[in-house]
Amino acid sequence: MKPIRTAAIVFLAAVALAAITPQFWAPARYDAQFRETPDASPSNRFPLGTDALGRDRLSRLIYGTRVSLLLAPAAATLSCLAAAALGGIAGLAGGWIDRAIVSAADLFLSLPWLFLLLMVRAGLPLNVSPAASVTITFLLLGALGWAAPARVIRAAVRELKDSDFVLQARASGCRQSRLLWRHLMPNVAPILWAQFWVAVPVYILAETTLGMLGLGVAEPLPSWGGLLRELEDGAALSHLWLLAPVLLLAAVVGSFQLILPREDYSL
Amino acid sequence: MPQLVRMALLVLAAGLIGAFLARYSPGALVDERELDQRLSEDSLTALRATRGEDANAGATFARYVRGLARGDLGYSRSNHAPIRELILDRAPETLRELAIGLAGSWLLGLGFAIPVGRWRRAWIYDGAASLTAGLLLCLPAALVAYLCLAAGSKSAVVLVIVLTPKIFRFTRNLVVEAYGASHVSMARARGITESRILWGHVLRSAAPQLLALAATSASMAIGAAIPIETICDVPGLGRLAWQAATARDLPLLVNLTMLVALITIAAAALAEAMTPAETTARREGALSP
Repeated sequence: MKPIRTAAIVFLAAVALAAITPQFWAPARYDAQFRETPDASPSNRFPLGTDALGRDRLSRLIYGTRVSLLLAPAAATLSCLAAAALGGIAGLAGGWIDRAIVSAADLFLSLPWLFLLLMVRAGLPLNVSPAASVTITFLLLGALGWAAPARVIRAAVRELKDSDFVLQARASGCRQSRLLWRHLMPNVAPILWAQFWVAVPVYILAETTLGMLGLGVAEPLPSWGGLLRELEDGAALSHLWLLAPVLLLAAVVGSFQLILPREDYSL
Repeated sequence: MPQLVRMALLVLAAGLIGAFLARYSPGALVDERELDQRLSEDSLTALRATRGEDANAGATFARYVRGLARGDLGYSRSNHAPIRELILDRAPETLRELAIGLAGSWLLGLGFAIPVGRWRRAWIYDGAASLTAGLLLCLPAALVAYLCLAAGSKSAVVLVIVLTPKIFRFTRNLVVEAYGASHVSMARARGITESRILWGHVLRSAAPQLLALAATSASMAIGAAIPIETICDVPGLGRLAWQAATARDLPLLVNLTMLVALITIAAAALAEAMTPAETTARREGALSP
């Protein structure tokens, strides 16, 4: 394993550990307000300063990492499971079932992903509780992201369908469902795994964009998207510490890109 | 012909999905003017009756398709204007932005990629360019828009910054592959000038994939234009789509959904038509390890 890949894995593990146990690292709770010190500059007490409501930015960053970093893999799991089921069924069944699933995937892929996400998210209530907004945001990400991996899985299953071991299984009277889950899925698992790692940084960035447009995780729960909204007034260039979430986001997404299986960029 | 029918069906299905999503969103049939205490009961009843026409999303969509056949795109309640006028009014701004964004990003992306292939030992340049592209790809378009706004840049520049790393990463590999071909080495050995090698051998052999990428990049640009226009406050179709979604303006949302679907499906069909069969087959399994 290349040293840079090892470094990326170690970094992600450290960030994930901090995200899982924020109470040990964060100086305060994410919603604790220090009303006597709003908009404070960085100091020993508040290493990244405080926001307009007097909340410690470092604590909010650590708690926000928990939301963004842990739920993106959950959404990726959801979309990969849906892709495995639909892509597997399409590849194995063929005929009208295949055509119907491929058409549905084409429909999802025909609209820019963000447009679809905005359309669905805007159709949901804005005044939901923070916990519900987290669930809605990441369920949406997972539910809308199945199409691209499903096409890859379908192609792989179609290729495997005519292989000797599948013919042997069929000849032995193996049922379709057993064929799919016991014989085909273990063989497409590496592809599914690759799709999972591709999806995680995409979902992190999607949540960030939604949050920045005001349709992500609701306040007071922090997420990277919500934290980056502070840059809206253009103060980042004069208050460089506001860029801390940007650096963390870039480092985490970059690390995910480094540990991804080797990509083929050719069309 | 079957491809065109499929495209038309996909576009109509996209519009129908848009109609159903808007219809069943919370508060879809509520008009905020109903809260105005100055309105009489008759006025309120009339308002509710108008909104009630949209209660059946399927019927509304069928009515819309009939109007579409006559060239009538309907009326936007949130903008108080015919949708046809709104789209014609906003489209030039978005088209201008997309044209500048796509032209700029292709110029820069391909411009940065060619030296990587041309000078195979320029690994410091390659590393620096790839690292910069990788870093920019780690940032969402909305964040780039915020940062560029703070620096006083225009929305088209933001689009260039967002698209260039994507174009670079794709074209870099294509150009490196094309420069590595044996006919390029042979051309060099015969003393053919580098500019002729570039135009006559490298770009020519990579042309099918580059054309396919050009069509795909149009879809990427539309996707990126939505948050950029919203954040940069550009009066284009991206911001109109955002407003339609948040105001639950059903007819406008359906029109924009179909327009976006039409453009992206046409771009994808164009990309497919331009891509050689073996490349398409390779792309199907592009992510297989």
